[in-house]
Amino acid sequence: MAIQVRNRIPAEIPTASMADIAFLLIIFFMLTSVFSSNFGLEYGLPKNEPLTEVQPQEAIHIHIAGPGQYLVDKRAATLPQIAGYLDMKLKQNPKKPVIVQTDPDVPYFATIEVLDLCKQLRVESVSIPTSSEVAVWAGFAGGIGGTTR
Amino acid sequence: MKTLRVQKLTAVIPTASMADIAFLLIIFFMLTTSFSPVKMGVDLADAMSREEVDKDAAIIAIGPGGEMEISNGVNPGNRINSLDELDLFIQEVLVQDPTKQFIIKADRNIRYDVFNAVYEKLRNNNCRRIALLTQTVPAKASE
Repeated sequence: MAIQVRNRIPAEIPTASMADIAFLLIIFFMLTSVFSSNFGLEYGLPKNEPLTEVQPQEAIHIHIAGPGQYLVDKRAATLPQIAGYLDMKLKQNPKKPVIVQTDPDVPYFATIEVLDLCKQLRVESVSIPTSSEVAVWAGFAGGIGGTTR
Repeated sequence: MKTLRVQKLTAVIPTASMADIAFLLIIFFMLTTSFSPVKMGVDLADAMSREEVDKDAAIIAIGPGGEMEISNGVNPGNRINSLDELDLFIQEVLVQDPTKQFIIKADRNIRYDVFNAVYEKLRNNNCRRIALLTQTVPAKASE
């Protein structure tokens, strides 16, 4: 009687295509995902409380007339000069409010540059007046810088 | 004389760990990628000081031409054509959550009055928390 030799079939899971599938998935995720920037300058507005009256001389008024064209308390200054001025004023009074007013035709990044500077110098109170507020304040004798929220 | 048998070595590149590496990459991408509901591409303004904003914050994107896209942070973004639509959107979001943060994702070169129009709408609707999206200052070529 002839002895039959059994051919053993090894139990294997074919994984040769696994890498291809995985790389296809990577390519899919890379093409379809949109990376979002989740960082920025936070700006908190006060609650509906009575407005705090600030004397004109109490607030620092930064007027942005264009990129690199700044007026600090009605004097022309560069960004480093603003930093020095704010630093000096904040040493005298750390709670000094800052009003940042921008002209309508100025690019947005110029405002961000100043707001960034205020954040870096840890200014506690930064006010960005709306154009209607600027129009109202312009009617007062002291102009902008008279009242802030 | 003995003849030497030359053993043939087969050239094989080991690819067994390839799948593991690929899956590790997938997991890395899945964990680090955050999806933005607003698809509008904008060139953000540079800033040195940046804080992380809320993940589920409402987004108002303003493109270089002043076009706007809005999202409540959950649903995909919608293009809007007027400030009245923006006003309505802000009201709807704040009715559901009065402390909701609004992210203004504006292009760096838009005119300030375009930003001001959006900012004014947020102020008028008593929005308390606003974040102005920025990007890190790019390293200068000389540095």
